[in-house]
Formats: sequence, structure tokens, C-alpha cells
Amino acid sequence: MKKRLMFITTIVLMFALLASACSSGGNQSGSKESGNKDGDTGQKVKISIWHNFAGDDLRAKAVRGLIDKYKAEHPNVEVDAQAIPVDGYRQRLSTVAAANEMPDVFFVYAGSHSQEFYDAGKVQPITELMDKYPEWKNNFMDGAFDRYEFEKGQIFTAPLGMSATSFMYYNKDLFEKHSVKVPTTWEEMMIAIKTFNDNKVTPIALGNKAPWVAQSTILGSLADRVTGTEWFLKAAAQDGASFTDPVFVEALGKFKELVDNKAFQDGANSIDNTQAEQYFIQGNAAMMISGAWSLTNLAASATPEQLAPIEVTTMPGIEGGAGKGNTISGGAGAGFALNKNTTGAEKQAALDLIYAVSGPDGQKAIAESHSMVMYKVELDESKVNPLYFKAFELALKSEITPVYDAYLTAEAGEAINNGLQELMMGGKPEDVAKKLQDAQSRSTK
Amino acid sequence: MPASLRSRSFVIMALLPALLIFILFAIVPIFWSAYYGFFDWKGLGAAKFVGINNYRLMLEDPIFWRALKNNLILVASAIVGQVPIALLLSLLLLKNTMFNRLMRSAVFLPMVLSTVVVGLIWGYIYHPQIGLLNQLLETLGLESWSRPWLSDPKINMLAVSIPINWANIGPYLIIFIAALQNISSEIDDAAKIDGAVGWRKLFSVTLPMIWGTVVVTIVLCISGSLKAFDHVIVMTGGGPAQSTELLATYMYNNTFTVYRYGYGSAVSTMIIIISAMLIGLNYILTKRRG
Repeated sequence: MKKRLMFITTIVLMFALLASACSSGGNQSGSKESGNKDGDTGQKVKISIWHNFAGDDLRAKAVRGLIDKYKAEHPNVEVDAQAIPVDGYRQRLSTVAAANEMPDVFFVYAGSHSQEFYDAGKVQPITELMDKYPEWKNNFMDGAFDRYEFEKGQIFTAPLGMSATSFMYYNKDLFEKHSVKVPTTWEEMMIAIKTFNDNKVTPIALGNKAPWVAQSTILGSLADRVTGTEWFLKAAAQDGASFTDPVFVEALGKFKELVDNKAFQDGANSIDNTQAEQYFIQGNAAMMISGAWSLTNLAASATPEQLAPIEVTTMPGIEGGAGKGNTISGGAGAGFALNKNTTGAEKQAALDLIYAVSGPDGQKAIAESHSMVMYKVELDESKVNPLYFKAFELALKSEITPVYDAYLTAEAGEAINNGLQELMMGGKPEDVAKKLQDAQSRSTK
Repeated sequence: MPASLRSRSFVIMALLPALLIFILFAIVPIFWSAYYGFFDWKGLGAAKFVGINNYRLMLEDPIFWRALKNNLILVASAIVGQVPIALLLSLLLLKNTMFNRLMRSAVFLPMVLSTVVVGLIWGYIYHPQIGLLNQLLETLGLESWSRPWLSDPKINMLAVSIPINWANIGPYLIIFIAALQNISSEIDDAAKIDGAVGWRKLFSVTLPMIWGTVVVTIVLCISGSLKAFDHVIVMTGGGPAQSTELLATYMYNNTFTVYRYGYGSAVSTMIIIISAMLIGLNYILTKRRG
């Protein structure tokens, strides 16, 4: 009897231990909240921030530097900053979102990504910060808040950058050596591709292992030249246009034309973006269609001799298409969002932190780290490399057209990403168009 | 009270904490995930009950069947690759000499490497332009054989399975060596007296003695190949155009890139069902032979 009692007591004790181990996290946060309600002087405020500036590139260093500066200037705020590598960032964020354990401040991408957090009620506006610094707000370029104004007059995120995704980089020396004209029309593009292939130079370097690359850098711009922007916005909203329309099939056909003429190097689907950049900068390819991020990568890793012959322009226009030439696909880049559950002193600290990183000083620091910003910055030509300066000027005078995956749902984005790989493996434009249409109509409700 | 009973209750009590943790973190989530499989849920926001709709969609999706086929290719390549090679090597490397120990370490080495490292190494071996394999073929004058190994859908599943097998032979080798060393020397002597040598000894004495171990390694191969994920995610990410998609990468991509948490949960439940079926099949087949 006595033994039995002991047995039961032990079990009860074990459960109690387990239970208390599980609930200790809850207790801590409870006491943290009550501590913050009354006190601000001397009380430590704890906030957390998640971002994906984990790399070694200049921009990531600049942003981490801004956060460190904030930490140093606010000794009473304890900042738990988590830098998560880009590839796993979205997954990590959606995992904690599902568990309702989101950080106070987190980095969100423009478009469907931040929209999903808004729809799920996970974010609150930062409009009060905008009202506090009107000059800051007015210095953003046109359209900077288009994708972050989920409610009229309420801004949820200030973009930290401009994502310009479709610069056409080219190697001037290779063009001169094989006496090819830098293409400004589709016909000239085809001639250039043929000439380079005849001379055993890869025409266009592409690393499409992570399948968003071809979609984000090439298809967005290419399709816009064929279909025009208006058609795309209608098709994305599934309102009066469909991706099975002949005009979009024709746009995919143009991409297929590139593939069929061997514009890309062999096995482009099995190497990644960075490897393609290396391939291009080493002079193996004449052109590379890539985003502003390549500027940052090249500035960090290439030698001045390698960079000297590199020039930048827009993709060639397409004769007879509904869209204009001389455009770059892009838009407001990612920025920081504020957790809906952050209140009181923590919210104040979080807003200050957002301003420290995305405010005027932050924008300037980021622009000087060779990364595009959506903010009017007086760029000091001596402080940045010439290629970046050229690209920045080009972006300022070009028209910006939408990037596909910023307007498509996650599911449709995946469908077109895989679809382009399929085209590169010999698939048919009609089938890819249908899959994209199915995915977009299924996931838009 | 007898001592045996007292010790039994002690055993139960001693095992209880570990058992509780195992149930809480390994068994409960399985049922939890099976439960989510009945919902249309994005991971954020409200979940909508859809019954068995997710399973219906899965069975209608050609990519699911392709993923299953790719997984079965991996299972087959593991059973015909890993087990016989490991067995052969264990027979060759049974004696404890210096050379054999060196060879055993060499075979075991990839197991110690992180799978990401293995994936990256082989990614570079298969690199279409600067890859070791293509350059080797070129130097040998076999340029026509060189190809983009990981992006050609006709061969990329095979290309992917080689590093996976290469990295997994090590532990089976150790298991087989342990099993072979457990065969008592009396049986060896008896076989020698009866004149059983070479193949005859292998099939009539050695293999039957370690048959239990062989069955276990096949089970490990099946379950290991069905949950294969990391090498593939590093080398191809399931692409291009989902041609190397496995059940696990299919589940991962659906859950975390497309945010169909409910559907992803249904897929992971399906993986458990398929594993159980295959392992059951293996049990029946090998039991008859045994």
C-alpha cells in the first residue's frame, strides 16, 4: 500500500515537473508585461527584431550596423536581434506566426508576403511614426507605400530598399571583341545571341536552381513588354483577364524563344544565382539579366579589373508589344513591420528602432552600401562604385513595372516559377499558362 | 513483495520520464498533424474543415505520384546499392588489420560530414560547366557523355541517388561487421570441417546467421529513403520543375513555400502510411524466406 502511494506520488510529481517546465515561458512573459505597464525609468524594455541581413554583403553589414548603433544609443532597451539567412527566413517567420510567437519587429517582403500578415491580423500600422517625421515621409519616391497601405491613410511598413529586378548587365569588351551591337530590339537580341553562340560565348548567364530567378529577373520585364502593365494587373486580380489569354502565351513564347536559341548556358536550372554571377563576371557570358542585388554581390566580390568592362542597361524592347521598352521591373522593397501585440513602452522602443533603421540616416547608409533605395538620397559619386552609380541613375529615369511574384499569390508564384523551369526543359507555353491560371484562380478568393 | 516485482516498478518509473517526453514530442505530433490534414489552413488565420478533400487533391496531383515514384527509386537504389555494397565491404574488411581499419574509416567518413556539405560537394562535382565529372569525361575524350547531371530530368534522379547511397553506406557497414563478428568461431570451425567454403559458406552459413540483421538494415533503408530530404533540398531543391521532388520535399514545399499547412500535414500523414505499408511488406517477404 505504502509502495503504491509512493508510486502514484512519483508520477504526480513528474507530471507537475513537466507541466511547470512547459509553463515557465508563459510566466516570464507575464511578469515582463506587468513590469512594463507602470515603469519606464530605469526599467529595461525588451524588444525583439527578426531580419534576414545575415550575410556578409555590404548591405547586410550596413543594416546590422544601424541596429547596433541603436543598441548603443539606447542602453535601457534590450534588443534581441535575430539575423536569419535569406533562404530560410520566410519559413521561420511563418512557423512562429503559426505558433503566435512573433517578434516585435520583423522584416517583411512587399506584396503577397506582407499582405498575408495583414490579412491574418498580425501587424499594426506605423502611421504615427510617419506623422512624427513628415519630412522623412515626403522624401520617399512615388509609389513607395503603394504595397504597404492596407487601409486608407494607414502605412504599415516603410520600405528599406527598392527592388529593381531586371537590369541587363553586359560585358562591353565581349561585345566589342565579337563586334555585336548592344541589343535594343528583340531582333538585335536574337542576332547577339546567335553571334555569341557561334563564338562559343554564353549569351546570357542564368542561375535558376532556386526557381524564382528567371521569373523575377526575366519574365516580369519580358512579359510586360508584350502584354502591357494594365493587362497584368487585371490578370493578377483575376478581373477581366486570364493568364490563358493568347497575349500571355505569346509572352511565354518569347521566353521559350530565348531557351530554344540557347541563350542560357547548359544546366542553368542546376546552378544558383551567385554561381551565375561569378560565371558572368569571369567573362564567360556576355550578358546577365539580374536585379539590383547583383550590384551588391559584385561590389563585394569582384576585382576592379573584372568590374571595369561591365555596363548596365534595360532589356530590349519588343516590337509590336503592348508594353513600353526602357522599363525595369521592380517596386518598393521589403521593410520592417510592427507586431500587433506590441504595446506600451515596448511599442515606443520598437518604433524608434524602425526609425533608426529605415529613417533618413538608415536610407543613406543603405544607399551607400550599393543597394537601391526608394528614398531620395544625394548620392556621393566618390563613395560608391561607378557601376552602382550608373544603375541608380538608370533606375531613377526608367519606368518601373510590376514584378510578377509581388502580385501573384504564393501558390501562383510557385506555379510560374516551376513553369519556367519546365519551359527550359522543353515544356509548352500553353500548359504553363494554364497551370498559372489555375493556381491564381484557386488561391484568389 | 518479491524483489522482481519491486524492480519492475522501478524499471517502469525509471523509463517513465523518457517515455513521456517521447510521447509528447514524437507520438502526439503525428496525431496532431493527421488532425490538421483535414483542414484548409494557411498557417495564418482561420482553418476551415474540409474532410478528406486534401487527400483527394493529393491523389489527383500528378506531382504527388511523381514524388512517390522518385521515393521508390531511392528505396530501390538503397536496397540494391547500400545493402549489398555494405555487406560485401564488411566481408572484405572483417579482419582487424591496419589497412582495413583505414578503409572502414574512409567508408564511414561521409556519414560524419554534414549532409549539407555532402550536397554541396556533389553539387560541384555535377556542376555543368566547372564540375569535376564533366571535366573528367572531357579529359577522357568522352565529351559526348557530359551533360547537366542535375537538370536533365531523364537522369537527375539517378544522379541525386548516388551521393545519398554514398553517404549512407557507413553505418550499415558497421552493423554488418558487428553481426559478422558475433558469429561464434565454433560455427566457423564446424563449417570448415563440413567442407563449406567460399560461396557455399556465405549462402549456407554466414547469411542465415546474420539474416535478422539484414532484415533490420533493409527496414532502415526503406524508412531512411522515404524520409530522404536534406541531400535533395541542397542539391536540387526538388527541381527543376519538380522533377526530383520527393514526398518529403513535396510536403515541405507545399507547407512552407506555398503555405498550405493543412495540405502539407495531409502529405506527411500519407508518408507515414506509405512507410508502414512498405515496412509491413518487407516484413512479410523476408519472414517467408527466413
